[in-house]
Amino acid sequence: MSSNDAMPGVPDTPDRAQLDAMVDAEQADPRAELEDVDFSTELGVAMAEDAKAVSRGEITSEEYWQRYDDLAAEEFGEVYHETPNPAVDHDTAQTIEDDVAESLSCTVGSMASIAESLEEPAGDSEGASEDGEDDDHRWGMVIDLQKCVGCDSCSVACKAENRTPPGVSYNVVMEEEHGEFPNVQRTNVPRPCMQCENPPCVQVCPVSATYKMDNGVVNVDYDRCIGCRYCMIACPYGARYFDFGENYDDEVEGAGEITSPEYGVDRGEREPKKSPVGNVRKCHFCHHRLNRGEEPACVETCVGDARNMGDLDDPDSEVAEMAASTRAMQLKEGEGTDPNVYYLE
Amino acid sequence: MATDSKQFDFGFRNGRLRVAWYALLAVLLLVGGYAMWLRLQGGMRSTNLTSITPWGAWVAFYIYFVGLSAGAFLVSTLANVFGIERLHRVDRDALFAAIVSMVVALLFVWTDLGRMDRMWHPFAWRQVTSALSWEVHAYVAYIFVLMTELYFSMRYDLARVAERGTGLRARLAGLLTLGRRQLTDESREADRTWLKRAGIVGIPLAIFMVHGGTGVLFAVSKARPYWNSGLFPVIFIISAVLSGTALVMLLYVLRTRLFDGERVDRDILDRLATLLAAFVVVDVALTAIEALIAIVSLHPHEVETWRLILFGEMSWSFWWFMVGMGWVFPLVLVSKREWRRTPWLMAVAGLSVVIGIIAVRFNIVVPPQIRPVMEGLPHGSYFPSAVEWATSVGMMAVGLLLYTIGAELLPLTPLDGGDH
Ligand code: SF4
Repeated sequence: MSSNDAMPGVPDTPDRAQLDAMVDAEQADPRAELEDVDFSTELGVAMAEDAKAVSRGEITSEEYWQRYDDLAAEEFGEVYHETPNPAVDHDTAQTIEDDVAESLSCTVGSMASIAESLEEPAGDSEGASEDGEDDDHRWGMVIDLQKCVGCDSCSVACKAENRTPPGVSYNVVMEEEHGEFPNVQRTNVPRPCMQCENPPCVQVCPVSATYKMDNGVVNVDYDRCIGCRYCMIACPYGARYFDFGENYDDEVEGAGEITSPEYGVDRGEREPKKSPVGNVRKCHFCHHRLNRGEEPACVETCVGDARNMGDLDDPDSEVAEMAASTRAMQLKEGEGTDPNVYYLE
Repeated sequence: MATDSKQFDFGFRNGRLRVAWYALLAVLLLVGGYAMWLRLQGGMRSTNLTSITPWGAWVAFYIYFVGLSAGAFLVSTLANVFGIERLHRVDRDALFAAIVSMVVALLFVWTDLGRMDRMWHPFAWRQVTSALSWEVHAYVAYIFVLMTELYFSMRYDLARVAERGTGLRARLAGLLTLGRRQLTDESREADRTWLKRAGIVGIPLAIFMVHGGTGVLFAVSKARPYWNSGLFPVIFIISAVLSGTALVMLLYVLRTRLFDGERVDRDILDRLATLLAAFVVVDVALTAIEALIAIVSLHPHEVETWRLILFGEMSWSFWWFMVGMGWVFPLVLVSKREWRRTPWLMAVAGLSVVIGIIAVRFNIVVPPQIRPVMEGLPHGSYFPSAVEWATSVGMMAVGLLLYTIGAELLPLTPLDGGDH
């Protein structure tokens, strides 16, 4: 499997030999390290070597401890007996004492069993929200305009995350200056897609290529969109962009090699006549990240913590509370679109 | 009959003119073809469109040809449905021009798609709330009605050509009768009845669905206040009828002179010219009302858009083409009875309107996409690219070619001089 199949956004890894060499270069010389302490250098080196043999499967753990338990006890004295030795004192299902685990508030059990229990809920949510069905969230964003400093980090993070081509910018910050020097005021209004409750773009699409998912995100089906751009005409927020097929090839080498798995579909390398080229694109609240339980890139990156993401249907969620505050407003409320992006004035 | 051989040999009177005309079309088609290749290779990058101004020349030409078609069709119904006898002479011409215009219009929409290969998607997936989805279906139904009409209007003459004509024309005519070759009076009556029925279906289809619908397509976008008005689809229809009348007038003069070698019927000309004048006046009045409401509303988007149209960078297209060629110049030409009865002057008036309405269409499509929908987003600026112009010329040449071939092969002028 090539790396961009598995994890879009992760750069290529160098080959193994090179990696090993890098590790070797970093590694401290064990003999020199052990000479710094009071205990036997020879014993330390021998134990370390055989420990590697255990992990290679050349000797068993039991053989190892038969060989070293007494030698170690002799060398380290009382201290050795006071330190719990998981491999000797416990079976493979539990590696530390229950009370120690309690005090550290961590889960007890073998790595395998813990990994299993972690995977389950994550796997569940992924399966469910893939198509937005039986996902009872309604994703919403609240942007605190008093915290926004107009640094455009969100736009940059968005570009990096979604790998949008030139001319396509899911998020922009609309910056305006009012008044005359020295009484100048500046407003910065970040503008992602509003994921409207009543989206005009969905209304006008002749082939239903753009539609609202149950989780509130407005989807664009790149495999169905005919590129008529009627939705761009209809959007009152200018949030939609046509993919003219341009690339950053002059600026970045291999710019189109990796694409973002928008709406959960990995389309592989960017190619001239392949969707989404010739389609209309827009912000999707980083749907692929939401599915992984992560926040959208712009929310995560915001330096002033101005952006908040959450479930508007959950009255106890932070975003629902903020959206209900007296400071909350939506852009172009008169349009009747009822955006799921709220702003705090 | 002594005139028979001449009657069944429609087409250019003048061989040299024919060669010159086809040569010109060939050149235009070559240029357009090359541009189309560039468009296919380069995708939408070959245009000057942007995400701020996503619709441009192709959309403007598309609504232009839809309008031309709807207008020409409505002129044909004056004869077929409302029984204005004089106009029978032009009804097939009008119908055929309407079909060709529609084909050209669809060529333009197709070229405008970001994914031309998915042109069939609107028939596979729909959206009830989308005007565009409805339009696509209305266009198909409309073309079907037009063809039905042309068939019933022409069948009798087709049968005659098949029987008495020679060569390619006779064979084609035979095929196009679809097997109904009777030359009886009953069959002729049946044709007329069906022609009228199709016309009655066609009128609402053309007015409300095809052209009104195309206006609605724009008018529903609340995000663009300039379009978002109830009067908008009405103006669409009026300017469509205006351009259609002008086109029919132009074709009538040209074809009578160049193909039929007959004298132009001054009464028909006078009638068409009067209609034209009436439509110009209505068009001007409605446009003025629309502009007034928009400007007095003081809605910033509306005011700004009108300011752009009247005084902006492209205001020449408004003053010279839309007002000058579309309205003032033709009005002057049809103002005198004597001029109205002068064929070449009326041909010029027709041509002037046909060109002027192009500017009307551009001034509908482009200006509201210059000012961004939200303060703080970049402003747009648009002038079609060379590829956009050249492909447009090519697609129009396709239309001219289709029309010319049709005019050469089909009995578009009633064989007995229009008094059927
Ligand atoms: S561009 Fe695509 S998504 Fe937008 S209206 Fe047309 S088909 Fe629908």
